[in-house]
Amino acid sequence: MEYAPAKFHKSARTLPEPGEAFAFTPENQAKFDAYVTRYPPDQRKSAILYALYLAQGQQGYLTRAAMQHVAQQIRCTPAEVEDVVSYYTMFFTKPVGKYVLNVCRTLSCALLGAERVTEELSAVLGIKPGETDPTGTFTLVEVECLGACDRAPVVMINDTDWHERLAPEHVRRFVEDLRARGKAALSGCHLHKEQGAGGGGQGAR
Amino acid sequence: METVTLTLDGRAVTVAKGKTVLQAAIEAGISIPYYCYHPGISIDGSCRVCVVKIEKMPKLQTSCSTICTDGMVVSTRDPEVVEARAGVFEFLLINHPLDCPVCDKGGECPLQDFSYTFGPAESRMDFPRRVFDGEGVKGDVDFGPTLMLNRQRCILCTRCVRFMKEIDADAQIGIIDRGYGSEIATFEERGVHSLLSGNLMDICPVGAILTKDYRFKSRPWDNPGVVDTICTLCAKGCNTSAWLKGKPEWARGSRLIRMTPRYNPEVNGYWMCDIGRFNYHWIESETRLRRPMMRRGAALEAAAWHDVQPRLRDRLQEAAAGVRFLVSAHASTEELFVLREMLQGLLGADALKMVTLAWTRTEKAQPAATRFRVPAADAPNVNGARDLGYNVGRGNDGAADLGELRRAVEAGGVTAVYVIDGPAGSLGNVGWLAAARQSGTLPLLVVQGVLVSELTAVADFVLPGATYVEKDAIYTNDQGRVQAASRAIAPPAEALEDWQILVNLARALGLTMIYETANDVRRALAAAMPGTPYGEAERLVFTRPIPARNWLQASNPSERWKWDFLYQDLPPVKGHSVQMEGVPLQGAYPVIPLKPVG
Amino acid sequence: MAYERVLTKHVNEPHSYTLDFYLTQQRGYEALRKALTLDPNDIIEQVKASGLRGRGGAGFPTGLKWQFVLKDTPKPKYICCNADESEPGTFKDHVLMERNPHLLIEGCAVACYAIGAKVAYIYIRGEFYHVQQVLEAEIENAYKAGYLGKNIFGSGFDCDVYVHRGAGAYEAGEETALIESLEGKRAQPRIKPPFPAVAGLYQRPTAVNNVETLCNVPLIVLYGSEWFAGLGPEKNGGPKLFCISGHVKQPGVYEASMHTTLRELVFDYAGGMIDDRPLKAIIPGGSSVPLLLPDQLDTPASFDAVQKAGSLLGSAGLIVMNDSVCMVWLAMNLLHFYRHESCGKCTPCREGTDWLFKLLGRLEAGEGRQKDLDLLYRVSNNIVGKTLCAFGDAAATPVISTMKLFRQEYEAHVREGRCPLPAPWRASRPLFAGAH
Repeated sequence: MEYAPAKFHKSARTLPEPGEAFAFTPENQAKFDAYVTRYPPDQRKSAILYALYLAQGQQGYLTRAAMQHVAQQIRCTPAEVEDVVSYYTMFFTKPVGKYVLNVCRTLSCALLGAERVTEELSAVLGIKPGETDPTGTFTLVEVECLGACDRAPVVMINDTDWHERLAPEHVRRFVEDLRARGKAALSGCHLHKEQGAGGGGQGAR
Repeated sequence: METVTLTLDGRAVTVAKGKTVLQAAIEAGISIPYYCYHPGISIDGSCRVCVVKIEKMPKLQTSCSTICTDGMVVSTRDPEVVEARAGVFEFLLINHPLDCPVCDKGGECPLQDFSYTFGPAESRMDFPRRVFDGEGVKGDVDFGPTLMLNRQRCILCTRCVRFMKEIDADAQIGIIDRGYGSEIATFEERGVHSLLSGNLMDICPVGAILTKDYRFKSRPWDNPGVVDTICTLCAKGCNTSAWLKGKPEWARGSRLIRMTPRYNPEVNGYWMCDIGRFNYHWIESETRLRRPMMRRGAALEAAAWHDVQPRLRDRLQEAAAGVRFLVSAHASTEELFVLREMLQGLLGADALKMVTLAWTRTEKAQPAATRFRVPAADAPNVNGARDLGYNVGRGNDGAADLGELRRAVEAGGVTAVYVIDGPAGSLGNVGWLAAARQSGTLPLLVVQGVLVSELTAVADFVLPGATYVEKDAIYTNDQGRVQAASRAIAPPAEALEDWQILVNLARALGLTMIYETANDVRRALAAAMPGTPYGEAERLVFTRPIPARNWLQASNPSERWKWDFLYQDLPPVKGHSVQMEGVPLQGAYPVIPLKPVG
Repeated sequence: MAYERVLTKHVNEPHSYTLDFYLTQQRGYEALRKALTLDPNDIIEQVKASGLRGRGGAGFPTGLKWQFVLKDTPKPKYICCNADESEPGTFKDHVLMERNPHLLIEGCAVACYAIGAKVAYIYIRGEFYHVQQVLEAEIENAYKAGYLGKNIFGSGFDCDVYVHRGAGAYEAGEETALIESLEGKRAQPRIKPPFPAVAGLYQRPTAVNNVETLCNVPLIVLYGSEWFAGLGPEKNGGPKLFCISGHVKQPGVYEASMHTTLRELVFDYAGGMIDDRPLKAIIPGGSSVPLLLPDQLDTPASFDAVQKAGSLLGSAGLIVMNDSVCMVWLAMNLLHFYRHESCGKCTPCREGTDWLFKLLGRLEAGEGRQKDLDLLYRVSNNIVGKTLCAFGDAAATPVISTMKLFRQEYEAHVREGRCPLPAPWRASRPLFAGAH
C-alpha cells in the first residue's frame, strides 16, 4: 500500500484554465442581480458562492475568465475569488464529465462497501478517482460524508442529484442505466418521493 | 490613561486597558513567540505558538487574542505551556525546509530564533517534506517585479494576505486550496504589483517572501551597521533604517544594502513604500559627482576646491544682482537656512525672491482605500522652505512654478543661475535651462548637486554635494513634522556636505559665518526661530552605524528596540544580558509607544 | 412511557412539507402568532426555562445563547441557521427541512423576534440541493401567506428568511466559519472572543442555531417549557432526533426522548445488527466523539449521560460497527476525512491531521513501527486543545479513542506487518481521494 504517494506531499495545484471571454448570460445576470439583494448592499461578497454556481452552471467549470467576471460582479479582486473557489470542493477548475459521480467514502458509507463501489466504478469506467473518461461522460470523485449515512453507500451526481444505496454489485448495472436513461436512472433522495400514503420511504421513525 | 494590572510569570505588569497579553508581555520584556500576530495588522490567532496559561481559563489561550484584565494571572513558563508550544513548533517545522544556510532570512528569522528557544530539539517527522511544485506551478517563484516567493518555506501565517487586504487595500494575495495543501498565491501567478510590496518581506516571519533587491546580497551578520534615518524621496518622510554592509566588496563595492521602515506611529506606522526602499542604488552609482569641476573652454575639468572657490567667487561677483537660484526642495533645512543667511547678508531682506524652489509631483497609482498613501510631492522639504520664508506657492499640494525664472532666463535678463540639485529629475524639466546656457543666453551656470545630469554637462562650475544618507540634516514633512536624517556613509571622494559648500561660498563672498558643523547651523536655526519646531532642531537625535564584533552587538539601540519589542527577531539572549553591551547609550533615545491594536 | 413524536410525527405522510398540511395537522404558525404577542425577553426566558440545548453538537443552552446577543446596539442582528449538517454519521436536519420545512421557517421567525433580528439566513450545505429546492419553495409559500415578510400578523414585525447554499466544506458547520462563509470568504473559523453574539455576521450581533434546535422553538412557545423539559431527563429535555447508521438492519432517523438508551436505539429502533453479528463499538455522536463499547450500551442517550460514559452525544449521529471493523482502518478512514476537511488556518490542525493520516496509512499498510504507536498518541495530544476551533480535538479523537480502547489492534498491525482484519466490504486495493 502506498501510504505516502507523491500526491500526499506534493501540491495538487494547477493553474485554472484561462478560458474564453466570459460573462453571465442575461438570464444568469438577472438571477444574480435579484439574488444579491438578499444581503446588505455593502456585502455583495456574500453572493460569491451563488455567482460561482451560476458561472459553473453556465460553462461546466470555472475558468480564470469566469473568476474575473465573478470578481467584477462581487467587486472584489480575482485573487479573492480564486481563494474561495479553491477552498470549496464543489467547484471545478478543469472540465468534468457530463456526470460527476461523487462517491461518499466516509465511515458510514465505507462500512457498507463504499470503497468497493469506488473500485467497481473505477474498473467499469476505466478511470481512477479524480479522472474523467475519454468520452467526457463520467468523472469519478471520492468525497467526504454527504449526510445520507442511512442510505449508504450514497453517490451524488453532479452537484444536484443523489443515488442512494448503491451496492458494489449493482455498480455495472447502475452505470449502464445512467448511460441509457440519464438522470431517470437515479434513485433520488428517498425523502423526496411522493408515492402516496406512507409509501414515500421512511424519513424518520 | 486607564490601565490594568496583571501578573505575568509572577511579575506585576501594568499596561493600558485594551492591550493583549502578548502586548503586555512584549512591553514587560517577557519573550513569547508569535508569527501570525503583527502589531500593524489584524489579529488572526492562527499560528498558535503564543499560547499561555491563564488561571481560571480551562484551556491554554493564545496571548495575541486575549485582552488583559485586572488580576489576570498568566504563565508563559508553565510546563503545560512549554510542552504545547514545543508541539506547535514541531508542527511548524515538519514541512518547513531547513535550508537556513542558503535562505536570506537566516540569522534574522523569527522561525529560526524562536524554534531554537522554544521548539523541540529534534523532529519526529520521517515522511518526505511537502513540496509545492504542482502541475505547471512551481513552489519557488517570481512574485511580481520586486519579490520572490518560496512556498516551501511558508508557514501560512497569512500576514501577507492581511497586509494586502488591510493596508494596501488591494487583496492580490490569496490562499489556494485548503488544509495541508494550502498555499499562498496570486491570481494567475501574476505576483504582487504594489507600491508597498517591499513591506511583505518585512512582515514575512520566514524566508518565504524576499525582495529581489536584497536576495543573495548579504547575511545579517555581514551588516554590522544600521543607521536610523528618514527617507527623503517624497514629502511623507518615512522613518527608515539604512543597512550597511561590513564587506562592501561582496556587494559590488556598495555599502548601503537595504532600506527598511522604522516604526513611527505618527508618520509611516510600520511601513514604507517601494520607492524609498528600492531607489537607493544611485547613491553609490557611477553617475555620482565625486569632485569639483570647472569649465575650461569646451571641456569640464576636475579641479580642487581651493582652485574652484576663487573663480566661482569672481564669476558670481561679475554676475552681481542678475544671479538667480534654482533650488531643489531636496535641500535640507540647514542648507536653506545658510542660503537665506548668505543671500540676505549680501542683498538685503527681500533677497529670497531670487530663489526659485523646484520639486516634481507624481500621482502614485494606489488603491483608493489604501491605508498607506504615498504623497504626490516627490521632495522632502517643501515645508521647510516655506517655513524659512521661501516662496513655494501652494506647497506640497501644488506644483513648483519655474515659469517666471524660465521667462527671465530666456529673455536674457539673468546673468547667472546657481542650481542646487537633488536626486535625478528632482528639478523637473530643465532642458530649457541647459539650452539657454548652451546658446549663450545664460552666461553662467553653476550646479551644486549629486548626480551627473544634462545641467552638469553644460555647467561652468559643478560642485559635488552629499545625498540624504551622507549628511546629518533635517527636513520638514508634509505634516509639518521636523525630522532628522542621519549620516550613514561618507560622501564620495571630494564631495562635501551641501551646507559646507554654501558656507564656503558665503565666506568667499566676504560674509562671516562661524559654522563649523551642521549642528552649529541647527543651533543658529533654533535661535532664529524660537517657539517653532525648529527651536528644538539641535536636540534632534542623529545616529551612527555602530561598529561591533558581531551582528548581535551591532544594532543601534533603536533598531534593537524594534527587534526586542516589535518583531523579537533577535536570537535568544542566554545567560547574561548583552542587550546594550558595546552600544554607547548617550543622549536620550526616544521610546516609541506601542500602537494600540484593534 | 410511550413517547409520541413531535418533530417528525408526520414526515412519512404525503405532502407533509406543504403549508396546508402544516397549518391543518401541526397547528402551523400558531406559535409565531402567539410569540408576537409576547415580549421578546419572555420568549428567551421561556426557552431558557425549557432547558433546550443546541442540537448541533455542543449542547449549549439555546436560551443563554440568545440572551448573550447584544441588545443595546443600533446595528442589525441576525439569526443564522446552521443547516450545514456535515458531521459524519449525522443526517437528521435534512429530514426536517425536506419533510417539515415550515417548522424550521416558523422557528427562524420566532428566533428573529426573540433576539430582535429581522433576517435569518439558513446556511445549507451545497450537497443538499434537492432539500434546498423544497425549502425555498416553502419559504416562498410562507411569504405569500404572510407568515414572512413585512408586518407579520399586523404586529409590525418584519422578518426575512433566506437560504444560503454552501459549496462543500465540513468546517462551515463551525459557527464562526459558517459566518465567514456567509460573508463570502473561505469557511475558516474566527478567533473568539468576540463571540458571534457580539460581533458575528458582518460584525453584527448574531445567533447561530442548528436546524433541529430552531425546530424545537415553536414547540416550546406553543406547548410551554414545562412540557418540553418533561419530555426527557433533567437538563436533557425535549424531543431528540437520533441518526443511526452503520452495521444495523434499519439505519435511519429516529425521534425519541433522551431517556432512551443506546441499546434501545440500536436494537429496538434500528432493528439490531446486520446478520446479528456482535457489536464491536459504537460512535454515539458523530465521528468527532470517542467510541463506546458494548458494555456501555445501557447508557441513556442524553447529553449528560453519554458524557458521563466517556463520550459525547454531539450531533446524535450513532455509527454502529460490528466485529469486522478494524479500528486502525477506522481511525485512518476518519483521519482521511479530517485531513481533507481541515481548513488549514491554524498550525496544529493543518499539519497534525496530515501527519496522523500518514502514520495511520503506514500502520494500516503493515509498515508501521512500534515507535509509531507512541508517536501517533503524542501527535494527537499535541493537537488537542491547541487549535483555533473544536475541529482539532475532533480530529484527534478517533485516534486517541481507538488507541485507548483497542491498543492491541495497533500492536497487531505492527507485529504482523499487515491489517489483521481485512473486511470484505473494504477496498481490495487501497484507494485515495481524488481531486482534493
